[in-house]
Amino acid sequence: MHSLAERARASAEWLLRIAVLAILVWLLVWTIRAQRHGAVDDAVTATLAPKLARWSTVASPARVHVRIDHPPAGRERDWLAALPGAGTAVNWNGPSLVPTAIAVEPRIDPARGADVSVAAPDSAEVVLADTLGVLDSTRATRSGVRGYIPKFRGTVDAVVGPVAARASRRDSVELRKLLVIGQAGWEAKFTVAALEERGWQVDAHLVVSPKGDVRQGKIADIDTTHYSAVLAIDTTAARYGDRIAAFVRQGGGLVMWSPAARTRALASLAPGAGVGAAITDEGDVPPDSAPRSALELVPVTSLSPDAVVLERRGQDVSLAARRIGRGRVLETGYTDSWRWRMAGGPDALARHREWMASLVALVASSGHHAVPAAPSDVAPLVTLIDRLGSATAISEAAALDPAVIARWAFAILCAALLLEWASRRLRGVK
Amino acid sequence: MTQFVFATAKYASGDWESAPSLPEAVIDAVVRYTTIDIAPTGVYVDLSSHELFNFPFVWLTGHLPVRFTDDERRNLKQYVERGGLMMIDDHNHDITGQFHKTATEEIERLFGKMTRLPKTHELYSCFFVFDDGPPNTHHELNGYGDDLLHKYLDAILVNGRVGLIYSSKDYSSEWNFHAETKKFMQQDPTKFGVNLIVYALTR
Repeated sequence: MHSLAERARASAEWLLRIAVLAILVWLLVWTIRAQRHGAVDDAVTATLAPKLARWSTVASPARVHVRIDHPPAGRERDWLAALPGAGTAVNWNGPSLVPTAIAVEPRIDPARGADVSVAAPDSAEVVLADTLGVLDSTRATRSGVRGYIPKFRGTVDAVVGPVAARASRRDSVELRKLLVIGQAGWEAKFTVAALEERGWQVDAHLVVSPKGDVRQGKIADIDTTHYSAVLAIDTTAARYGDRIAAFVRQGGGLVMWSPAARTRALASLAPGAGVGAAITDEGDVPPDSAPRSALELVPVTSLSPDAVVLERRGQDVSLAARRIGRGRVLETGYTDSWRWRMAGGPDALARHREWMASLVALVASSGHHAVPAAPSDVAPLVTLIDRLGSATAISEAAALDPAVIARWAFAILCAALLLEWASRRLRGVK
Repeated sequence: MTQFVFATAKYASGDWESAPSLPEAVIDAVVRYTTIDIAPTGVYVDLSSHELFNFPFVWLTGHLPVRFTDDERRNLKQYVERGGLMMIDDHNHDITGQFHKTATEEIERLFGKMTRLPKTHELYSCFFVFDDGPPNTHHELNGYGDDLLHKYLDAILVNGRVGLIYSSKDYSSEWNFHAETKKFMQQDPTKFGVNLIVYALTR
């Protein structure tokens, strides 16, 4: 009569024998299936190109797994994306890949150049380069990187770790003229001077007296076929109020100094409905580090709900913008920016000119012409996910490795046999 | 927005204060004919100080030899390059005089040879129209100084804009009077001063 323990032991031995048989059957099926459909295979970035050729010719694995160090080139990515169509499932992972994207927009500025926006993880080091070499490097903030590139050749790359996002210029801009309207004064004079030195063609209507004003250029109809932007220096621009409003709705740009927003004719266009008390200029030398900190400021207040604050000085809004119809309006609170140019540091002349041009570039309209663009890859990781699906977890990927599977199956098989044999021998059965 | 202030340059050599009533006469004309926001009185500004850059239009005059200091030269060069306009007027009305010789030497040392402003230049038409170029002064017509009628003004151009004007016409004598005196005059001689200010503020 067998005891309960002996019967349990015999049952365990049978279970082990069944497990061994099951593993052997599974291995047999797996081997036959691998013969019929090809084995599970893997590759790394360095071996991807020859493996792709192999998977498409001499072998036809059921599943492949690719460990990627940097996003594959477009040809390899497309090839991988095509494999499922031929019966080979594709998994991939790339723990070192960081999401990166780049956009390059031609700046509406006679100096040409482009505004570059890069999306990258916070604090990541971003290197900008064109086909000739490195242009600049910086660290990304929470909102990525925004910058201006005066000149570049070919394409612009944003390199973040192993990922290089590439963009090219897709169109060129056709500039119209600018129209400056204001009372004869230093701000109007130096605004015109800075923009002309930058390369803009400027028409101007500067009010001198009720009997005679100074007009520069033949002031044409205020529409987007003649002007890229209007600059309203002060309240005298109100005489063009209706035409400026129509121009902006049509798609034109308007830069208004905050005193111009006081006029009824222009107030409805202003990003800020109110104008704060002037913070007067103490006559200090505008420092190179923060030149606008020494300038007179008439803050933009009572912002409209759709207004975007572009710059603050302390608690006061110094630059704000909004869209009206198809056009854009920028309001600046710096009413005497000319002081920066005249009294600032050694680079003040150039920096004031650049700043003034950047204000115009934010709102100006232009004609666009498509230009032949070099191949680009503006968001490599996003494109990879779009084509191949999301990355597979590392543990899941390792589990699919045929070598790992074979090792585990063999180990379980051996352990089961050993246990079953040892159990029998210990109870004296051969 | 900054008010226009008529500034007269002080310099280390010479008699920079030789036309004390000129600002008053020009300011009066600007107020009389235009809506330009102008300070009621002028100021003196040291050519060697950084304060110079707060006044993009400056008048400079004198009778005596001019020798700028290094600071004055550096400031004047930077001032003109940044867009300021300096009017230098020979109070002697004499091209053989010491002021003319030394002031033009200083100017050409800093900027090279001056350009003659044509009579069609917008300086002569930006507000009042002077078909014959710079208006003559009584000192020229009466044969004082070099006994010449100077038909042109000379200038230094920066990016196509006038950065410095040199005059041998002696507006410093012509306009050096109290504004109230104008009511006894048939024509206001300071009208060309209005053109200078309008040009400085608009070009």
